[in-house]
Amino acid sequence: MSFVSVLLLVPLLAFVAILFRVPARQAALGASLVNFLVSLWIYFHYDPQFQGYQFVQDIRWIQLPALPEIHYHVGVDGINLALILLTTVVTLAAVIVSPEGIKREGEFYSYLLAISLGALGAFVSLDLFFFYIFHEFALVPTFLLIGIWGSENRQFVSLQITLYLIVGSMILLVGILALLVLLPADARTFDIPSLINYVQTHPLPINKESLTFGFLLVGFGTLVSLFPFYTWAPSGYAVAPTAAAMLHAGVLKKFGLYGLLRVAIPLLPGGLEQWKMLLYALLLGNILYIGYVTIAQKELTTMLGYSSVMHMGYLFLGLATWNKIGLSGVVVLMVAHGLSIALLFALAGEIKDRTGEIKFSELGGLGQRMPFVSVAFILASFASIGVPGLANFAGELLIFFGSWKAQPWITALAIWGIVISAVYQLRAVQSVFFGKLPTHLKEVEDIQGITKKFPYILLMSFLLLIGMMPNFLLSVIKPTVEQYFATH
Amino acid sequence: MNTFFILCSPEFFLTASALVLLLWQAFAKLNYKSVGVLVLADYLAAGVLLLPFVENQGIFYNGLYVWDKMAVLWKVFFLITGFLVSYISLESDSLIPKARAEFYILPLLTTAGMALLASVRDFILLFVGLEIVTVSFYVFVAFQREFPSALEAGMKYLIIGALASSFLVMGIAFVFGITGSTQFDEVARFAQKSPVNAPLILGLVFILVGLGFKASAVPFHVWTPDVYQGASTPITTFLAVGSKAAGFVVLLRILNLPFYDPGFQKHWIPLIVLMALLSVVFGNLAAIPQRNIKRMLGYSSISHGGFLLMGLSAHNKIGCAAVIYYFFAYLVAIFAAFLVIVLLEKNQPSGVSIKDFNGLYQKNSLMAWSMAFAMISLAGLPPLMGFFGKLMVFLAAWESGQHLLVIVGAICAAAGLYYYIGVVRAMFWTEPENVQRIDLSPATKVLLWILSIGSILLGFYAEPVIKLVGAVLS
Repeated sequence: MSFVSVLLLVPLLAFVAILFRVPARQAALGASLVNFLVSLWIYFHYDPQFQGYQFVQDIRWIQLPALPEIHYHVGVDGINLALILLTTVVTLAAVIVSPEGIKREGEFYSYLLAISLGALGAFVSLDLFFFYIFHEFALVPTFLLIGIWGSENRQFVSLQITLYLIVGSMILLVGILALLVLLPADARTFDIPSLINYVQTHPLPINKESLTFGFLLVGFGTLVSLFPFYTWAPSGYAVAPTAAAMLHAGVLKKFGLYGLLRVAIPLLPGGLEQWKMLLYALLLGNILYIGYVTIAQKELTTMLGYSSVMHMGYLFLGLATWNKIGLSGVVVLMVAHGLSIALLFALAGEIKDRTGEIKFSELGGLGQRMPFVSVAFILASFASIGVPGLANFAGELLIFFGSWKAQPWITALAIWGIVISAVYQLRAVQSVFFGKLPTHLKEVEDIQGITKKFPYILLMSFLLLIGMMPNFLLSVIKPTVEQYFATH
Repeated sequence: MNTFFILCSPEFFLTASALVLLLWQAFAKLNYKSVGVLVLADYLAAGVLLLPFVENQGIFYNGLYVWDKMAVLWKVFFLITGFLVSYISLESDSLIPKARAEFYILPLLTTAGMALLASVRDFILLFVGLEIVTVSFYVFVAFQREFPSALEAGMKYLIIGALASSFLVMGIAFVFGITGSTQFDEVARFAQKSPVNAPLILGLVFILVGLGFKASAVPFHVWTPDVYQGASTPITTFLAVGSKAAGFVVLLRILNLPFYDPGFQKHWIPLIVLMALLSVVFGNLAAIPQRNIKRMLGYSSISHGGFLLMGLSAHNKIGCAAVIYYFFAYLVAIFAAFLVIVLLEKNQPSGVSIKDFNGLYQKNSLMAWSMAFAMISLAGLPPLMGFFGKLMVFLAAWESGQHLLVIVGAICAAAGLYYYIGVVRAMFWTEPENVQRIDLSPATKVLLWILSIGSILLGFYAEPVIKLVGAVLS
């Protein structure tokens, strides 16, 4: 069995263990720790110079009438390796951050594991069918986590997010099926590498490519909260329990971007050309419009939700320009954003739990009472703004380098987004941690003990590691991206 | 002749055992519960009797009656349906007037009619089979005559059913008048030899109207929500699965044999597409505001009729395979859903609204999970059986060029999520008014487990069912 399959098997075993009444928190903790170590093992045994996928496992699954054979086909290259690391790190942090003795504990941790399993499965799948199924598998527990453990107004929000994301998935499914039907019957397959090989030698008719790309863009775009399909995200994250917001905003949301760069653009390059200008307009909507909307927010978690939507604009920019530098930047920023937003949501959760407040107007001066939280929050905010030395900077810089040559004006407007994000992020830092400490917050305590601090230190370490040594990721990403373009 | 009797075993066996049971309970004053158990045993016995003849093939009585793998598969389907309906009836015994053993015996005759329909190769036999089924449903729907809603439902079903039957007979008369035969092969041969003329098309249209009623396809659906709501729950289940399947079996047969000729196809394909389109749009949209769960499932059944018609509109083997697979997925989900409804109704005899599902998870997690899987499967979310059913239907329709239909179908399926997820939301996310645990019998627990696991396993690993369907169609 490939080590990649072990990554999927471990949460599954923990899931079964919880079913058989093994203490849920311990099982989830054990599974996420093992998975973190397995992903590190894969990282250190990955050969960047190898052409193609590594740790491959390919088993025939089933065949449905009118559909090509479905395979359980998994493997790793530089791009999904980075995302595997992101997933295991954020999962471990999310599990530790979750409170002990939460109601319906068994279910809670099972759902967290299921999201992690679904995300890992989607990232490592080289078969379109499993790629889609794994993502859907991860969505259902997200709805349940929000619906059961969410804060006020969870009923409405969980229904809204459910419908939004499922409609997005449906459109995506129509796009995937349309893509298959575009090919002649004997060339149809779910195998992503074979599909890419095929379209490189047999270009598809441009008008059909364009329509199919439209479906995929709207489908994936909704899952990533592309403007204007974003309204589910801020309210969803604001209401979600901390661990669910960390896993969804940090990891699962990357599925849409990963789908665009792994499936939609390589298979339908002509489609991207046709939709490019609209995509530029929409991503500027993400960066500028949502950026200004974020500034107007009065609550911490809602603001973080909007800021997450805003940052997706940069990632779309990197994808739209579609060149080597930009694409490397996209992968780095996906990881960096995942780490930083997970850290921010975790800290926001701590602040909410300890103070009972989430409105900026009710907070202030917490730096005096919570030095650890404030340092971590400031570091995460700096990362989010794109301060050099932290992970996001490396990704954003590469994306802007990549896009500058192709679209200087759009890039210039997008760079303005950095100023906007600095405004709202620093304002949040200022109004939460500085200024006068309100009397009702005088007794608030900081996070105590190394085990409680561990998830934050873990996320911060990775943000610093990638920021200081982007080569940690780029050494595996770049060769893969180069192969991507060399075979094009 | 002997072979024929052996091959007909489900029909003969079920009819004979129904008659024996009727006499037995009349003279020996059998307790209604024992009758129910005997009926369950009858279904099992009929299934066992079928086993030796699974591989047989043949056409009997000058082409009147066919025994092929498809017929066997559908007979098995109807036996499972009958068995589960009887089980649900036994489970809901407190809701049905006591000492009425006929309530348990009549489904045997209905199932015999359905099994007969699986083998029809002649329009007269088709009509007879369909009437056996329909007439027994007239009785079932109005069985609880002390409830005005049941009487109203029975009346509606009777009037509209009779109208549909007249259309069907009229259609058959036209076909017979033009072709000189009611036998499927003869009609097909006629169409090959001479051009298809207007009266023949009229006959086809009338027949489709009659069968549209069975399939509860728009615009012949008006009875569905009222009857689903008014009938007792086991009967609603029977209508939702058995009666609908009977309609589709007949459609599968006639559209692929007597009316398979391109001369016919160019007329019936647009009609089927139109019915499918209207059914998915109306069924899904009208289900959204419903608060009574049986009424909601009534509208949802209209939409499922639409999805199934979508498979038929593909007029090829893949479409037929999709329809058969879809029905198995539908059977598993609907029975799980109605079993849970019956279990809830025991505490709430006045009827179950979606509000009554609030916090069901805290009262009985197995019931909540079974209902959730049923709803998710009906909604068509992966990786449950319902998803693969919809996927195959969409693909078949897309391949045959019905692009608009598929796009509208996908949008409607997405709209349908709203009401299915609404039930899941009530069970898991809403606090109940009281947390009184609901206890289940071991047999019911096992059945709920089987239905839930079946819907996941046969979805994620659909190969066995697909192979079976493929073998049937080859």
